[in-house]
Amino acid sequence: MYDHYSPALYGVALKVVGEEAAAGDVLQEVFVKIWRNIDRYDASKGRLFTWMLNITRNTAIDSLRSKNHKLEQRVQDVNSVALMYEPQLAVHLSVDHLGLTKVIEKLQKDQRIIIDMAYFKGHTQEEIAKSLEIPLGTVKTRMRNAIIQLRTLLKQV
Amino acid sequence: MDPQHFISSGIIELYMAGIATDEEVGELETAMAQYPAVAAQVEAYRRSMETYVTMQGIDPQPDIKASLFSQINNEPNLQEGVPVPDEDLQQPKVVSMQETKSPSWKWIAAAAAVLLVGSLILNYVFFNRYKEFREYKDKYQSLLVSQNSILSKSNLYKTRLEQMQESMEIIQDPKVLKVPMPGTKAFPEALATVFWNPSSQQVYLKVNKLPEPTADKQYQLWAIVDGKPVDMGVFEMGDTASLLQKMKVTGKAQMFAITLEKKGGALAPTMEQMYVAGKIPG
Repeated sequence: MYDHYSPALYGVALKVVGEEAAAGDVLQEVFVKIWRNIDRYDASKGRLFTWMLNITRNTAIDSLRSKNHKLEQRVQDVNSVALMYEPQLAVHLSVDHLGLTKVIEKLQKDQRIIIDMAYFKGHTQEEIAKSLEIPLGTVKTRMRNAIIQLRTLLKQV
Repeated sequence: MDPQHFISSGIIELYMAGIATDEEVGELETAMAQYPAVAAQVEAYRRSMETYVTMQGIDPQPDIKASLFSQINNEPNLQEGVPVPDEDLQQPKVVSMQETKSPSWKWIAAAAAVLLVGSLILNYVFFNRYKEFREYKDKYQSLLVSQNSILSKSNLYKTRLEQMQESMEIIQDPKVLKVPMPGTKAFPEALATVFWNPSSQQVYLKVNKLPEPTADKQYQLWAIVDGKPVDMGVFEMGDTASLLQKMKVTGKAQMFAITLEKKGGALAPTMEQMYVAGKIPG
């Protein structure tokens, strides 16, 4: 189970917390939580991966928020998110998904940023608007378009 | 809202990104329960998002796996429910721990009960002692008070005795002249005595009987020297009056008299208020 899910969950943790050591800690905590609470997983309510993904996002976001220098972190958020899209970092991506990686690369950079800020970092519409310096209404429109675009690209695979 | 309209409304996209409002989330969840088409659409979106996540998967460092597995194996509560092959080996351990645990609890409970009873007994004993001690303390304090009052009284008597002795010495001195001063016609009941030492010129006064004056008045002693009254000073009444009081000095006198004057004394005697008067014998 670990070998199967850990790359995806680690990727999520790394996206949220932004540094490898902290992401490793989060991943470890996530698997301990999964281990302890596996009896609470209800297959009728959703797939196992969805459940594990939610645990990972929540744990990683909690870990990020518990850090004292919230303000500093906020400023770095945009930078570190942007950094993730640099080509040399993409080399670390799991080899299995190399074909799919090209799909992601077709997604516009600002579309990926807006999805990731909401989906991974757990930011609210207001926070995204403030961080990207765009009106609140634009956040909704862009988000919608980004997700539609993502789905369109995935269907081509 | 019909399912198709719901699907195209854009709420599902916001919901997937996690930025839908609570109200929108409520609406969507209601719609998902009502229309299987909406639920299926949400599921399709979810799969897309999860594919997106999976695509970005990164292999974690191998040491994380090692450290995770050692953590899980070292936490006893995590091993519960896990089909561990050495379960048989674990079982006796737990049982034997319970066996050693239960008698030790009994011992602890028994010891605690004994200690509690002992403590109650000691409480009772010490409380009684404390009560006794408190009684003694009260008695001791009252004794201390009475001793103090006795001591102060004895001091008072001692001073009194010394004053009496002093008076006696003056009276017994052969040089001292005794001048009785009987009451005047206006105050026949009054009586006082002057003791005068002509060589030291000191005058003493003993009040035998004088009515207590009002607070704004005081008795004043006069010496009549060659027909003129000379002030010998005012004097106190009350307790002090029973003793011999030291007055002013005079080298010459033919007569002594006492008048009642305003407090602090007068420059000249008020003749109408003369209570006693007496001539020096001889």
